[in-house]
Amino acid sequence: MRANLLLLKLASLAAAGAILSVAAGWAAADVVAVISAKNPVTALSRNQVVEIFLGKSSRFPDGSQAVPIDQAEGSAARDEFYTNFAGKSPAQVKAYWSKIIFTGRGQPPRQVPNGVEMLKVIADSPGTIGYIEQSLVDSSVKVLGP
Amino acid sequence: MRRKLIRVALFALTLGAAAVRADDGDPPGFVLSGFGTVGAVHSSQRQADFTSNSFKPTGAGFSRNWSPDVDSLLAVQGTANLTPQLSVVLQLISEQNYDNTYRPHVEWANVKYQFTPDFNVRVGRIGLPIFMVNDSRKIGYANPWVRPPLEVYDLVPLTSSDGIDASYRLPIGAATNTFQVTAGRSDTKSPQSGGGGASVKARDMVTLVDTIEQGFVTVRLSYGRGRLTIDVFDPLMDGFRQFGPQGAAIVDKFNVNGRLATFLGVGASYDPGTWFVTGEWGRLTTDSIIGDNSAWYLSGGYRFGKFTPYLTYARTKVDSKSSDPGLDVSGLPPAVAGAALGLNAALNSALGRRTDQDTISLGARWDVMRNVALKLQYDHIRLGADSTGLLGNIQPGFQPGSNLHVISASVDFVF
Repeated sequence: MRANLLLLKLASLAAAGAILSVAAGWAAADVVAVISAKNPVTALSRNQVVEIFLGKSSRFPDGSQAVPIDQAEGSAARDEFYTNFAGKSPAQVKAYWSKIIFTGRGQPPRQVPNGVEMLKVIADSPGTIGYIEQSLVDSSVKVLGP
Repeated sequence: MRRKLIRVALFALTLGAAAVRADDGDPPGFVLSGFGTVGAVHSSQRQADFTSNSFKPTGAGFSRNWSPDVDSLLAVQGTANLTPQLSVVLQLISEQNYDNTYRPHVEWANVKYQFTPDFNVRVGRIGLPIFMVNDSRKIGYANPWVRPPLEVYDLVPLTSSDGIDASYRLPIGAATNTFQVTAGRSDTKSPQSGGGGASVKARDMVTLVDTIEQGFVTVRLSYGRGRLTIDVFDPLMDGFRQFGPQGAAIVDKFNVNGRLATFLGVGASYDPGTWFVTGEWGRLTTDSIIGDNSAWYLSGGYRFGKFTPYLTYARTKVDSKSSDPGLDVSGLPPAVAGAALGLNAALNSALGRRTDQDTISLGARWDVMRNVALKLQYDHIRLGADSTGLLGNIQPGFQPGSNLHVISASVDFVF
């Protein structure tokens, strides 16, 4: 009986721990839009970022070409980026690109597998724009927006 | 023309595939993708068929209690990016054709050159951008509804044109303005009651579209024109030509062939993410026996996570006269007068085929997986007085002006 109670207590502790770590994971996964530190652009509104990612605009405010980079489909960072920046669920983003692709009007942004890869690509090429977890940000990139 | 298009496109796609091996950098050299719908539709009206466009020979109601033919289709698309500027697209669709086969047809086959990120030109078979979602009307996954409102979308049932198009995007303040010009021709076949197909040709087609996007707002203006040639009315017109100047005047008034038909459309949508509202109005003027129609719809939906219920109201009405006195038979010898009365009756039967109807649709989209959406839609269709609406295969016992209920279930996917 006592052993059972103990088990129950342990189980509920484990459950609480799991919930806490998930919550912590969410908090740590705050996604920010980034450009290369070498890019002369200093500020970009949320709307400007979204237009570049949805293929509605292909330039930075200074007129130079902007190339968006996506993280892998289904990744938490990608889903969070589109939810927070564009107000679009993964399904809405998929439906949006289906329309563009199957009407021959364009192709979605090139993809990289994760945030670490994205950091490398963005840091190296001044024309690109991407998004990574806040925790990955270093001096090779500049953070834009919220 | 079709075979040639396929051959050219296949050749270009092969080049694209070869380019992938030569250089596996970005953009991807060759992309194979597709979309489709598996649908079933039921209609309460058993004396006519409910179809998704006027090129379908059968549908739900008379032909089938539950019809898979209304919405089901499968499309495969190959895109080859030969250089960062030059790309080729070939899209094949298998759906119910005018002859009741599912033989795949080339929906699009074009070569695109992207001169700048904001300016491109395409040559080949291109989607006709006459309505807001016209070039994506068959991509169920891309749209909230089971199908775009028929009242508006059946005004111009064509989805592609063989020719050239240019698109230029210009930012104006915080808004993006995209101007698109399309010029081309189209050859299609519509089903005939005795089986087989009647040729429907459109020549000298020009479409001008201006799309203004700012934030959550999209406004779209479109103008289209073209010269139609529809075989089915030829015998009737030939008949009238037998009656001298009087007959020639009637041919001049009603003959569709070679006459300029024009289309004017306005659309707008507001989509902040959690909900949307969208509407379109359009008017087709043919100045001929097929008449003039205007139509509009208004639709809104709310996104509860993966679940999007929506409500739509759509209406179409005939703007042209539904009858004509025809030939004056008073001075004709009795033997000829009989034939003249027959022609008059045939003319008035064509003019009297009213398509007036309105529909209230209630439905929901459920994004069950990342690539798959399930939809369920209920339509309450009211036909105008003496109207057969947009229904096909009208049977002798059909009551014009009646109401019907349509239930549609579909699975839309992309890959």
